[in-house]
Amino acid sequence: MKFRNFIKTVPMKLYILLAIIVLFAFFSNDFGLVDIQKTAIILAAAIDKTENGYSLTAQIAVPKGSDRTTGGTSSVEIEAEGATVSDCVTRIYSKTGWVPKFVFCNLILLGEDAAEEDVMRSLNYFLRNEYMPDSCLLAVSEGKAGEMLSSQSALDDASSLAITKLFSDAAVKSGKVLPTTLREFSIGCFGVSESSHLPFIRSATQKGEQSGAGGSGGGNTGEEEQKIYSAEETAIFSRGKMVALLPREQTFAYSLLLGKVFSGTFTAKDGEEPVTLTVLENKGGVSLKFEPAPVVKLSLNLLVRLCCRGTSAPIDDVVSDHVPDNVLENAESVLSGYISDLFATVKQSGSDLFFLKRTLYRSSLKKYALWKDSFLPSLRADITAEVKTKK
Amino acid sequence: MKNVTNDLPKTVEALKKLLPAEDILTFEFLTEKGLTFTVVFADPITDKELLGEQVVRALRRFDGPPTAEEVGKHIASPEMKREKSLEKLAAEVLAGNPVLLWEGMDEGVVAGTKKVFTRAISEPSTDVAVKGPREGFIEDVKTNTSLVRRRFKTGELRIEMVEVGRRSKTFVAVCYLEGTSKAEAVEEVKRKLGEIEIDIVPDASYLTHFLSSRPYSLVKQVGTTEKPDIFCAKIAEGRVGLIVDGSPIALTVPYLLIEDFQSSEDYFVPPYRATFTRLLRLFALIVAIYLPAFYVAGQLFKLQLFPVKLLLTIAGSIRDIPFSPSLEMLLVLLVLEVLNEASIRMPKYVGMALSVVGALVLGETAVSAGFVSTPAIIIIAFSGIGLYAVPNLIEQTSVLRLAMLLVAGSVGTYGIILVTGFVLFYLVTTENFGTPLLAPFSPMIGRDLRDSVFKYNLGSLPTRPRTLKSPNKRRLK
Amino acid sequence: MNKISSRQLYFFLACVAPVGKLVYLPSLLVSSAKNDLLFPAALQYLVQAGAIFCVLLLAKRGMNFFELLENTFGRIAASILIGIFSLFLFYSALLPLLEQKLFVQSAFYDTLPSLVAFSPFFLFAVYLCAKPLSSMGRVWDIIAPLAIAGYIGIMLLSVGTADFGALRPVGAAGGSGFWKGTMSAMSWFFDAALLLPLLGKFQYKKGMAAKGALAYLLGGAAVIFFLATFYGIFAELSQNQLFAFTKTSKYFAGITVLGRIDYLFIFTLALVMAFYCALPIQAGIDCIVQAAGPKKYLRPALGIVLCALYFALTDLLDYRFTEVVRAISGTVVWIFPVFCLLVPVLCLLLRRRRREIS
Repeated sequence: MKFRNFIKTVPMKLYILLAIIVLFAFFSNDFGLVDIQKTAIILAAAIDKTENGYSLTAQIAVPKGSDRTTGGTSSVEIEAEGATVSDCVTRIYSKTGWVPKFVFCNLILLGEDAAEEDVMRSLNYFLRNEYMPDSCLLAVSEGKAGEMLSSQSALDDASSLAITKLFSDAAVKSGKVLPTTLREFSIGCFGVSESSHLPFIRSATQKGEQSGAGGSGGGNTGEEEQKIYSAEETAIFSRGKMVALLPREQTFAYSLLLGKVFSGTFTAKDGEEPVTLTVLENKGGVSLKFEPAPVVKLSLNLLVRLCCRGTSAPIDDVVSDHVPDNVLENAESVLSGYISDLFATVKQSGSDLFFLKRTLYRSSLKKYALWKDSFLPSLRADITAEVKTKK
Repeated sequence: MKNVTNDLPKTVEALKKLLPAEDILTFEFLTEKGLTFTVVFADPITDKELLGEQVVRALRRFDGPPTAEEVGKHIASPEMKREKSLEKLAAEVLAGNPVLLWEGMDEGVVAGTKKVFTRAISEPSTDVAVKGPREGFIEDVKTNTSLVRRRFKTGELRIEMVEVGRRSKTFVAVCYLEGTSKAEAVEEVKRKLGEIEIDIVPDASYLTHFLSSRPYSLVKQVGTTEKPDIFCAKIAEGRVGLIVDGSPIALTVPYLLIEDFQSSEDYFVPPYRATFTRLLRLFALIVAIYLPAFYVAGQLFKLQLFPVKLLLTIAGSIRDIPFSPSLEMLLVLLVLEVLNEASIRMPKYVGMALSVVGALVLGETAVSAGFVSTPAIIIIAFSGIGLYAVPNLIEQTSVLRLAMLLVAGSVGTYGIILVTGFVLFYLVTTENFGTPLLAPFSPMIGRDLRDSVFKYNLGSLPTRPRTLKSPNKRRLK
Repeated sequence: MNKISSRQLYFFLACVAPVGKLVYLPSLLVSSAKNDLLFPAALQYLVQAGAIFCVLLLAKRGMNFFELLENTFGRIAASILIGIFSLFLFYSALLPLLEQKLFVQSAFYDTLPSLVAFSPFFLFAVYLCAKPLSSMGRVWDIIAPLAIAGYIGIMLLSVGTADFGALRPVGAAGGSGFWKGTMSAMSWFFDAALLLPLLGKFQYKKGMAAKGALAYLLGGAAVIFFLATFYGIFAELSQNQLFAFTKTSKYFAGITVLGRIDYLFIFTLALVMAFYCALPIQAGIDCIVQAAGPKKYLRPALGIVLCALYFALTDLLDYRFTEVVRAISGTVVWIFPVFCLLVPVLCLLLRRRRREIS
């Protein structure tokens, strides 16, 4: 009878025990827990090659106090060196006492030195890390990436915020920038084409008075070197190494071939006068044929309207956005030139930027086995650019 | 002595023995023919004016044979009855009905002249409707049943009186529509009421414990309402209603959880509006329960639950707070619960002062002093308001919110998920009177979903809820 | 509550069972079948649907699993057989549990949490084990719509990112890749075995076997579409994406503005998965209870013992997940087809008429 009574009360006793455990866990609140107050929220990271390994610069967000009256993000850059990127992260932890978390890291900048060796050596840390979003943007910086990340933006509170703004959807549609995420870059590198591309960031100095609010590294005042950034060039990679740099025209041509451009502009000539055209419709195509020699067909089909003339024009001309035939012809030849240069750069670099190997692999395993090692060096380009105007 | 005898003094003495209380009085009066009547009554609860008018004045000229039948004919009270048993007569006295005894009687006569203390019928403060009837139940069972009867002009409405409580002998009116309510449910209600062994029933809430299949349940299993229109609508759907004397809250069984997401107003507004408000209530309740928990779990275990800019704002706000995020939230929640409790119990004239103390001193000053952060106050304020979107579930949901917070602060988001799973399992396995609490979602009853979170037009609801297994299935011909 | 309705059963097969296949299985399939990952999964679904068809046909006989065995082999042999079967169910629960643990550590925490973080699952499992298996029918009524909502939400956020061209060329992995994929996936397909303990808890209705198999295939189609999207998003990186359904939706453009709204759907599926992971343990316990007869404290006692054992095992095997997968889906993978395919088919040969037991 006693035992039965005891058994009857077991569930209640278990519930009480459970409640005590939960309360203990709640109030002790420490099972290796890394909460918001112990965390360094990394907004961006820069990786450079050093003599002994790598240098990692992490841009850490610094929360403003509750009394803040202005918006914005303060940040501080911490640099650490180590044999591997993971080593650098550990050193940042030991330097700051805050656990570095990459969950909000939206930009990884690679220094030129780091980009010229196999970048997967430094990026594999991020690919292995379950707590690192591979949706973050990846870019190559001119010179040292750490210096660029630590520089003061003229336009934004933090350099990383200013740089990521270069990769907005509107910028992509302009055709001047080709942003790439860690995932996209890695897929390109690990795929059969073993090629990929990243935007190349340059910075230009602009002297100016810094405002009091925000700013990298705190609110200094006075004369300070401020930077503005551009990402119109594109670094192309083969087998994980940066092998060439596409200038802005070729970046634009590549964007056009990918069919990504809407409202982007380029300049042709009307006789000797410059005329800027806006792309309204962009159909681009890259296809591979064997006739029997391998030929890549790079084709463009654009619908454009007149955006701006380099000379003064009568009012009748201003209200019309019709593009004269001679300008269209010139535009076609300008674009063909861009594409031709692009093809030459890519071929020379040995990169498979047009992912032709992948195309071949996906279309036929037999042909792929036959041609995979030989077709790129002997590749010929068949370039067509057709530009029409709005009727 | 168990019954009345023709010996008046002995009978009065025996009755007084059963009713020794000081407020049980007797008085005698003579008829014109010289017959002596003794009236035994409970002073505070007997309407003496009515007694004088309906009984004493009527019997002054009594000249018939001194039998109960003859005496009864002369009394002008519609609630008059005759009774032999002294115990029953004593019970009537205690109920406020005076007992008439006289020399040579064969039975005592009970005059139904009890004093009824009632307040005016008013709109219940806990169930206010912008559109729809404003009547509310009061504490008198007779008045309440009259409010129900007025809405059902049919003999199918049965109101059976049951006495519950060894000492209080409280009247409980069991209301149902014959042929519409499931007979088994009616029988079970009556059986459960009959089995109740309690000395007094001060309020209807005492009965809910006995009517529940899981008395220690996390969730209630008996529906409650203070409005006769809702009560009648529920009875019309096939439920059994209970009105308890002395309580303005009527009970209905079987209870479905979805009932508390429905409001009487939903039936007075277009269906799309009703659907929207029901979804809003559900959303508000979910947010109220989960928001503080996710806020804490996000800060402690999973920063990605916040967009980065919000996270930085939060990080900035809590930078100088001396407590951990979980403890901070628990403190704010406890303050809210205390304020809530105090504002309900506090006299109205100090209510304003309490608001000032609560909102300004505790809120604003605590933030300025750096005890708590602004986001924590916002989260708890929203949660506090959200809970009241479904006022009938406050007791359960506030406990659930606290449980979620404790689990979030100790295990994190996964704890929240598991507690949700536990609660879901608990809810789906709870039944009362053979009806699953979570119907029509589980078990899923497609047709009943039309008046659940969604509200169809009345024309699309021709049948009563299948969940209630009413023998009379159609309500629209 | 004593009976599971046919709708609840279809909900389980179409909506709940597929959720268990969205975590580790996709990356495992990629590691052996590469871009041909859809075919081993499709084959598994077809074969398993056949087994489910057989199990549901058994329901016509109106007996529970133990009674079916007892009717042919007698009480003692039936007790031994059902004991072995319940051991299989306990064995099959291990992989989903380990997978769930790692998934929880990854999806619910920003840094690797301590071991206790997953332990509340076992309390939850004990609670479920203490209740009759038939009460799961009502749970499925609730969690099936949640699973659908979670799945649709994740897919809406994911599909736009996918490059389905990555699935070409068909047959790149070759016959060996296909075979390897099929074999390794086997340990995730034990749904037919989960249905056997449910026999007697639902009533056979006309066409139930076909409808059940069809519901399972419908769930399979959803899984296959997810696998295609998964590979379309990650292509060569797929092998590295261990907790597939938590990964695919984060590239949605709106996430940068709204934050990780996809977690809403991930958490919804995690809730469904918590119920799914506990089911083999519940089913195994139910088998034992069928043989032992209804004893009041048997379910909770077994639940406590088993969950304590699983807790110890998941703790012990914490960093050996890959080895466990390799062992269960490699060397001894034959256990699964024996219990999930052969047993349901062989059960059809059991005596049809109820034997008079003196």
